[in-house]
Amino acid sequence: MQLVGERRGGPSGPAGIDGVMPREVVEPASAEEVAAMLASASKQRTSVVVRGGGTKMGWGRTPSALDVVLSTTRLNAVVAHEHADLTATMQAGARLDEVNHVLARHGQWLPIESAFDGSTIGGAIATNDSGPLRHRYGAPRDLLIGIRLALTDGRLIKAGGNVVKNVAGYDIGRLMSGSHGSLAAIVSATFKLSPLPAATQTLVATFDRADTLVTAVSAITTSQLEPAAVEVRTRSSIGSGFSRTSGPFELLLKFESTPASLNTYVQRARALMQSTDSQVVSSQSELDLWREHIRALWRSAGMVVRFAWLPASLSAVLTFAEELRNTVADVELIGRAALGSGLFRIDADVLVQRNIVERMRSRSDIFRHVVVLRAEPSLKQQLDVWGALGDAGSLGASVKHALDPNGILNAGRGPV
Amino acid sequence: MNTTTRGADPLGSAFIAELRRIVGRTGIVTEPLELLTYECDGLPHLRHAPPAVVLPSSAEQVQEVVRLCHRHDVPFVARGHGSGLSGGALPIPGGLVIGLARLNRVLDVDIPNRRVTVEPGVTNLEITRQVAAHGFYYAPDPSSQQVCSIGGNVAENSGGAHCLKYGFTVHHVLAVEAVLSNGDLVHLDSSIADASGPDLLGVLVGSEGTLAVVTKVTVRILRRPEAVQTLLAAYDSVSAAGTAVSEIIAAGIIPAAVEIMDGVSLIAVEAAVHPNFPPADAILIVELDGPVAEVHEQFAQVEAICHRAGATTVEVARDEAQRARIWKGRKGAFASMGRVTPNYYVQDGVVPRTKLPEVLDRIRQLEARCGLRIGNVFHAGDGNLHPLICYDEKIAGQSDLAAQVGAEILQYCIDAGGSLTGEHGIGADKAEYMPKMFSDDDLDVMLTVRRAFDPKGLCNPGKVFPTPRLCGEVPGPYHAHPLEKAGLAERF
Repeated sequence: MQLVGERRGGPSGPAGIDGVMPREVVEPASAEEVAAMLASASKQRTSVVVRGGGTKMGWGRTPSALDVVLSTTRLNAVVAHEHADLTATMQAGARLDEVNHVLARHGQWLPIESAFDGSTIGGAIATNDSGPLRHRYGAPRDLLIGIRLALTDGRLIKAGGNVVKNVAGYDIGRLMSGSHGSLAAIVSATFKLSPLPAATQTLVATFDRADTLVTAVSAITTSQLEPAAVEVRTRSSIGSGFSRTSGPFELLLKFESTPASLNTYVQRARALMQSTDSQVVSSQSELDLWREHIRALWRSAGMVVRFAWLPASLSAVLTFAEELRNTVADVELIGRAALGSGLFRIDADVLVQRNIVERMRSRSDIFRHVVVLRAEPSLKQQLDVWGALGDAGSLGASVKHALDPNGILNAGRGPV
Repeated sequence: MNTTTRGADPLGSAFIAELRRIVGRTGIVTEPLELLTYECDGLPHLRHAPPAVVLPSSAEQVQEVVRLCHRHDVPFVARGHGSGLSGGALPIPGGLVIGLARLNRVLDVDIPNRRVTVEPGVTNLEITRQVAAHGFYYAPDPSSQQVCSIGGNVAENSGGAHCLKYGFTVHHVLAVEAVLSNGDLVHLDSSIADASGPDLLGVLVGSEGTLAVVTKVTVRILRRPEAVQTLLAAYDSVSAAGTAVSEIIAAGIIPAAVEIMDGVSLIAVEAAVHPNFPPADAILIVELDGPVAEVHEQFAQVEAICHRAGATTVEVARDEAQRARIWKGRKGAFASMGRVTPNYYVQDGVVPRTKLPEVLDRIRQLEARCGLRIGNVFHAGDGNLHPLICYDEKIAGQSDLAAQVGAEILQYCIDAGGSLTGEHGIGADKAEYMPKMFSDDDLDVMLTVRRAFDPKGLCNPGKVFPTPRLCGEVPGPYHAHPLEKAGLAERF
């Protein structure tokens, strides 16, 4: 059978992972071509890494070898926007920003954020990566209502559907969420959408001490205010993304509501917090603030670690961050304060970085699911970036073996 | 397993003795009369008395029972409180029923972390009761929430009137402990989101008992909204009510709930629970919740839209008692159908909201053609229909006709790009229709995932996926559910 899709790249191509270059890059133009490509690779036991915008290619272990990078770049259409039904279907390679540009014509959007320009729908599902607005809208998997996949045996299958409420059959879309391209190639997906908020405002409060910030978060989440995002961040000693110079801790509260309601909420939130300093940000400055908030950490050097915590352990997380600051020059934390999900950026010697990850993993009373997202290849050789998967590990392996029996997809790199 | 050699006792006396050793004398039911309690769930026209029911009282006992089944290749079905509407808990011929009603402990109420951990036999509403004093609640609210178990909710991925805004069970389950078909205990923990790897928990939720038996569930709880406002608008036609719904959504408002009831269901609820609804051919219920300022502003918009769409009256609930009365009328709808028909068959298809007028019109034409009355109570915000097909089992052929009419309506939903089920599950009821919605390859992939969890296919076989009809699944006439007979529950 003739191999399909446009080929380019090779050893000098742009799609390497941790310095390992693919033999070739293929860019199929249709779902059928993706399926045929996978079937042929599976038959030949050729390893395949699916690539969307290529913004998170380093996430995962370092590959020992890389045969083919399958790029979804030509599968980039918004297939349907059913605005009256608040749903939309797009191909896997469609960029999040371009999708939202199209959806905005009808005052709607897909509330998935990314720290990276060029992130795609497929990548958002495969990594289940999200941003501050997860507090209100959930992660990509919570918005996904239907999916179409190409399997390693060359079949194209679907699960879910086009309706926002549907419990017919297994939720295979959920199975793809967080699979990091290890089970099948996503070719298109259907999401439920949200109306664009009528208006937004953000309150940025600065705190000198961790405990006053923790008290403020508790006051906000115990109140009946319903912020769209409740973000905490600590100031990097380099101070990349910070708007102010006073106080090492910041709390960012985003409110989305009707224009008339916003002022009330912001004033109430302010009254609930004992902040030394707070300011209201709106319009373009607000857009810039949030854009910078999720991006700044990735622009600076160092290891990036994702982790989860129980919401009531926020104080312990901040204490840990303070302790790190005493030993490491450059530490930064951002996170969803009320959900218990965040990122550390730590710029230090590789050995120090490894010790920090090991310390976090040993403190399961505070930290859960400690995953190293970005690191030097030398560090990745010294630890497992994914960490222990627990009971889900062997079940995940069974599912992986069932769907990818020859183990070609993201071989040795993904969580399963 | 070979049932013929075991004759009337398909599980074998040694197997039963072994079960008795695990759960004790009071933990097993084998008396034919007592077994009738377990012969069906809330879909009473599918029934099959099981050879035995085991009632473990701990996860360890569940594990031992499942291990025993695995050793002897005995299929099993886990059962919560039997209020499911798709025959998901229908006993499997020659199989064991594992009743989880005794796993009913509330294990941890963790307000600071906004979560509650319970055993599967705890009712949905009990979770809210546990946290209400602190100002919290558990969001998914199936109409059966007073009696349905959280384990059943996890199996079915139950919804409810408020899932338009708040999502389904899957959006609220943080972790489960479950027993796999080989007896292994697994902990699947999403810690809200960031566990690495495929979302296995998300697949388990809604798998209708075909992947594992859940023995512990951690759910998130939400802060009660500051304001809740509810209105009831009366219309001359369902389509006028539908127009109001479309305009509300087009205005960028996501209500907490949007429900429509048609004339037939209104007659029934008025007779049964006396909500004192205004006379109408259709009633629209809209509820908004959230912080006070936003709710007040948007509620005024909703009121205006309802009037503009031709409401004959708009009643706004002035207090909690009035709001409760409106919801009593809505949530009591299924239970009230006995006032207008000896029997009814409820379907659960979903259509894209914009296809509602077209599909409702087809159902009206079908009603005129088939001679059976079809009521409708539905979650209009998300296009989830609940057609109530009225029939009389005593009239020859009517019960079969009702089933055919149900199948026809599901076909309309599929034609409109919708789904066979929004919240009741496929179960035994709709398994044969799955090929209407999914290709052989689609279904095969689901079965591949199933085999990865349960290689022997012992967890609730015969559900969700189409198989040749088993002898025990032949639709029969309606009988009151044992819970109903005992006056412990109404049908929802």
